[in-house]
Amino acid sequence: MSGAPLVEVVNVSKRFGGLQAVDDVSCDLHEGEVVGLLGHNGAGKSTLIKLLSGVYPIDSGEIRVRGVAQHLKTPMDSRAAGIETIHQSLALAENLDAPSNLFLGRELRTRFGLLDTDRMEHEARQVIQRLNPNFKDFKKPVGAMSGGQRQTVAIARALHFNARILIMDEPCAALGPAETRMVLDTILRLKSEGIGIFLISHDMPDVFEVCDRATVMKNGAVVDTVTVAEVTPEDVLGMIILGQKPKRA
Amino acid sequence: MHKHMKAAAAALAFAATMAPSLARAAGEVIGVSWSNFQEERWKRDEAAIKAAIAVAGGKYISADAQGSNEKQRADIDALITKGAKVLIVLAQDSQAILPAVASARAAGVPVLAYDRLIEDPNVLYLTFDNKEVGRMQARAVLALKPKGNYVFIKGSPSDPNADFLHSGQLEALKPAIDSGAIKIVGEQYTENWSPEIAQRNMEQLLTKNKNKVDAVVASNDGTAGGAVAALRAQNLAGIPVSGQDADIAALNRIARGEQTITVWKDSRDLGSTAGKFAMLMAAKTKPAAIPGATPWSGGAKKLTISSVFLKPTPVTAENLKVVIDSGWATKAQVCAGVAAAKAPAACK
Amino acid sequence: MRTQLESAGFDARFSALVIALIAIWAALYFATDGVFLSPRNLYNLSIQTCVTALTACGMVFLIVARQIDLSVGSVMAFSGMLLAWAQVRWLGIDGPMGWVVSMFVGIGGGLLMGLFQGWWVAWRGVPAFVVTLAGYLMFRGAAFLVSDGQTLAPLADGFQRLGGGPGGAIGPMWSWVLGAAGCAALIFQTVTARRSRAAYGAKQHPIWADGLRLALVCAALLAFVAVVCAYPDPSSEDDAGKGIAIPVLVLLVVALLLDVLARRTRFGRHVWALGGNPEAALLSGLPTKRLLLKLFMLSGALAAVAAIITTARLGSGTHSIGQMAELYAIAATVIGGTSLAGGTGSIAGAIVGALLIQSLDNGMVLLDVPSAQRQIFIGLILIAAVWFDGLYTKGAKR
Repeated sequence: MSGAPLVEVVNVSKRFGGLQAVDDVSCDLHEGEVVGLLGHNGAGKSTLIKLLSGVYPIDSGEIRVRGVAQHLKTPMDSRAAGIETIHQSLALAENLDAPSNLFLGRELRTRFGLLDTDRMEHEARQVIQRLNPNFKDFKKPVGAMSGGQRQTVAIARALHFNARILIMDEPCAALGPAETRMVLDTILRLKSEGIGIFLISHDMPDVFEVCDRATVMKNGAVVDTVTVAEVTPEDVLGMIILGQKPKRA
Repeated sequence: MHKHMKAAAAALAFAATMAPSLARAAGEVIGVSWSNFQEERWKRDEAAIKAAIAVAGGKYISADAQGSNEKQRADIDALITKGAKVLIVLAQDSQAILPAVASARAAGVPVLAYDRLIEDPNVLYLTFDNKEVGRMQARAVLALKPKGNYVFIKGSPSDPNADFLHSGQLEALKPAIDSGAIKIVGEQYTENWSPEIAQRNMEQLLTKNKNKVDAVVASNDGTAGGAVAALRAQNLAGIPVSGQDADIAALNRIARGEQTITVWKDSRDLGSTAGKFAMLMAAKTKPAAIPGATPWSGGAKKLTISSVFLKPTPVTAENLKVVIDSGWATKAQVCAGVAAAKAPAACK
Repeated sequence: MRTQLESAGFDARFSALVIALIAIWAALYFATDGVFLSPRNLYNLSIQTCVTALTACGMVFLIVARQIDLSVGSVMAFSGMLLAWAQVRWLGIDGPMGWVVSMFVGIGGGLLMGLFQGWWVAWRGVPAFVVTLAGYLMFRGAAFLVSDGQTLAPLADGFQRLGGGPGGAIGPMWSWVLGAAGCAALIFQTVTARRSRAAYGAKQHPIWADGLRLALVCAALLAFVAVVCAYPDPSSEDDAGKGIAIPVLVLLVVALLLDVLARRTRFGRHVWALGGNPEAALLSGLPTKRLLLKLFMLSGALAAVAAIITTARLGSGTHSIGQMAELYAIAATVIGGTSLAGGTGSIAGAIVGALLIQSLDNGMVLLDVPSAQRQIFIGLILIAAVWFDGLYTKGAKR
C-alpha cells in the first residue's frame, strides 16, 4: 500500500433536482488496499459508487485513475478505465446462465460473428472454479442459484476482465456465515494480489477485518477518512450516526 | 345616457327575435350518423347526400361510429346537440340503435333509417330492396347452374342485411332445393365482410367437398373476391359466383369471366334520395307522407314502418355498359387485363 | 423424469407443446374422416399459418423485452395497401420490376412505422401498450386513405405466386432438394457443436439424445416435404405434386434467421438480458434504447412481409386485412412458451403455437362449426395454455 493512488476522487459533487446526493467528496484508494465506504442509508455511498461506475455523470470535480482524469459517461467507460463494480443488486439477468452473465455486454464471438458459447463457458468455468471449486452447473439460470453462488458469479465477472479497481456494494448483505467467510477470504486474497477495493458495508466486524482505511459519509459529504487500526468500532459508529470525528490521541 | 341605453336594449331585442329566422334562412342542419365510414362504398353515398342537401339549401354534419354501438349512441346525441333537425342513421346494429332513436324522438328530431333497418315505427326506412338483391344474386347463378352443389358465403353475422340477403337467396332457390336439383354443401358467415376470412372459409369448404362445388352464392363483392381467390388456387375460377356493390375489382372480374353478377345499388341514388327526403322531414313532413313511402312490416318484430325501396340493378357481362355509361366506373378500370378474344361487349 | 430429459437437452415445455399439437391433429383426423390430414388440407394449413407465425416471431422478441405490439394488424393493412398502390397506381403490373419494387415499398413502410413507434417508446418513455394502441388506430385509418377505401386490383401475375396459389409452390424436385439440404445442415450443425464442446472438454449431451433429436427433426422435415409433394397441383396437367408453398419457404427462412438471431447473436443475448433484468442491462452498459428501436422495426418489417403474403394470396389490395392479427400473434407467442413477464421465449415455440391455433380454426371449418363457436373455443384454449404454462413454471422453480 504505497505510492501514487490508484483512484482519486477529488471534490466530486452530484445533485438530483433538489437533493445534493454527493457534496464535495474527496477520497482515494491505493493498490493492494481496501477502503471501506461507510454511512447510514441515504448518506450518498451508493450514488458515489454509481458515479465511479459510469451510471451517472458527475456535476463537478474530478475522478482520476492512476493520476489521469477520467470522463466516465457510461458503464463501459468505467470498465475501460479498469474499474469493475459489483452492485448491491448484483446486476445479473436472472433468466440467463452464469457464462452469459459473466460476459454480458462483452460477449465473445466466433469468426462468423455468432456467440462463442463454448469458449465463454470454458473461460467462465476457469474463473468461477478458482473462486468456488464446488460450482458445477454452468447451464442453470442465475435466478435458480443461491445468494452465495450469485455473488460468486458477480465477483467472477469483475475479476475476469483484469480489473485493478474493484467496487463492492454490500457483498455479504444477503449471505449466510459460510458464504460470507468465502467472500471475505476472496477480498483478502485480491488485496494481496495488489487490487484496490472500495467496500460498502454495514457490518462492523467485516469492516474491521478486511479494511485498511474507512471513509465515512453523512448527508452526502465526507465526515472523515480514518485508518482502521487507529480507531475503535464505537468511534466509527459515532462518525456514522453523529458525524463526530474521533478524538485523535 | 338613458336614451342610448334604451336604444341599445331595443336593438338587442330586435336582433334576438330575428335570430331564429336568420338561422332558418341559413339552412336546416341535417346530421348523418355513419356506422363505419371505412367500408368501401360509403364515400359515394356521402357525396350524394351532401349534394342533395346543398341543393336544397341545408347544411351537412356527420359523425363516424367506427363500428361501435356505444360510439354511435354518443354520436347521435352530439349531432342533436350541434343542432341537427333531422338525422340520417346508418345503424351499426339494428337493435342497439333503438335507445338512441328514442332519445332523438324525445328531442323532436325525426330519423331516416339509411340502408339498414331500424325497427322503430316512427322512422322512415330508405333502402334498396335487400331481399330482392339476394333474389337477383341467386337467380343469376341458378340460370347458369340449375343443378349441382352450392356453397353460401354469407355476410357479417352482426349485420341484419346479411340475413335479408340470405333469405332472398333461399327464396329464389327454393324450388330447386326442394326438388333436389340443388344441394347446399356448405355455408359460413364472414366476420366484418372480410375478404381474407371469406378466402379461408372457401378454401376449407372446397377441401371438405373435394372440389365438388358447382356454384358460389356470395353476398357481396369483397367476399366474392376472397372466394374467387380460393377457386383460382384450385383451378376452378369461372364457376358461377355472385356479389353485390359493383366494386371496380368485381366489375373487372365479371369482364374476365371470374364472377357472374354483381348487384348495383347506385348509392348516388340512395344518397341523393336520402338528402331530399331529409330536407322534406326537416320541413315537418311526416314519414308516411313522403312521396313513394308505403307501410312495410317485414322486419323480425313485424312492426309497420313507412318505407321506400329503391330498385337495384343486376350487372352481368351482358350489360356492363350500363355502369360505364353512368360514370360509375371507367372502361379502362372495368376491362383491365381482359383478353381481347374473350372480352364482353362492353370491352370491345 | 423431467429433469432427466432436460439434462439430456430436451426442452420439456416445447416437447409438451408438440405433443399437444399431435393430439389435436389426431382428434381432428378422426373427426373429419381423415380430411384434415389430407395432403391438400395440410398444404393449405401451412399457408394459413404463415401470417400468424411471421407476426408471432416479431412478437416473441418484443414480449421477451417486456414490450408489446398491438398495431401489427394495422401495420399489415397499411403496408399491404402501400404495395398494392405501388403496383396498381404507380409502377404498373406488367413486368417484374414493378412488383419487386412494390415489395420494398411495403417493407419500407413497415420499417418506418416500427421506427416511429419504437422512437416514442425508447426515447420518450411512452409505454408500448399506449404507443402501439395509437398505431392500431392510426395505421388502419391510413390504410383506408391510400385509395379512399377502394380495393386495388388486379395485381401482377408474378407477385401473386407469393401467395401459394397457382404457380405458388416450388415443385417436388426443389422441395426434396431443400429437405435433404436441411437434414444435411442439421447433421453438420450437431456434429460441429459436439466437436466444439469436446475441444473444451465441456459436458456433452448423451449421444443418443442428440441423435434422437436429430432424427425427430429430420423426420418431421422430410414428412412435411413428402406430404406437400403428394398434393397434386390443380393447375398442372400431369398431377405433379405442388411441393413447398413459396410463402411457407419465406416463413422457414425468416424463422431460421430469427432463431439464430435470438439464440446465437449478441443482439439476441442483449434482448433476453433486457427482458430478464432491465436494470442489469443498463448497468452492464447495453444500448437499451437502440435495442428497443430495432425490436419495433423488426416487428413492423415482419408485419409487412405477412402483408405481402396475404395480399398476394387474395390477389388484391384491401384495407381490411390483418384484423385481429395482433391478438392471434400474441396468443401464438404465449402458447409457444413466451412469458408475458419477459425474459423467456422461443421462435420455434411461437411457430408451433401459430400452427396449433390455425389447426384448430382450419379443422373447425371442416366440421362446419360456425364462426362464433370457433372464437369461443380458441379463446378457451388460450386460457388453458397460459394456465398450464403457469403451473409448469411454478413447478420448475421448485
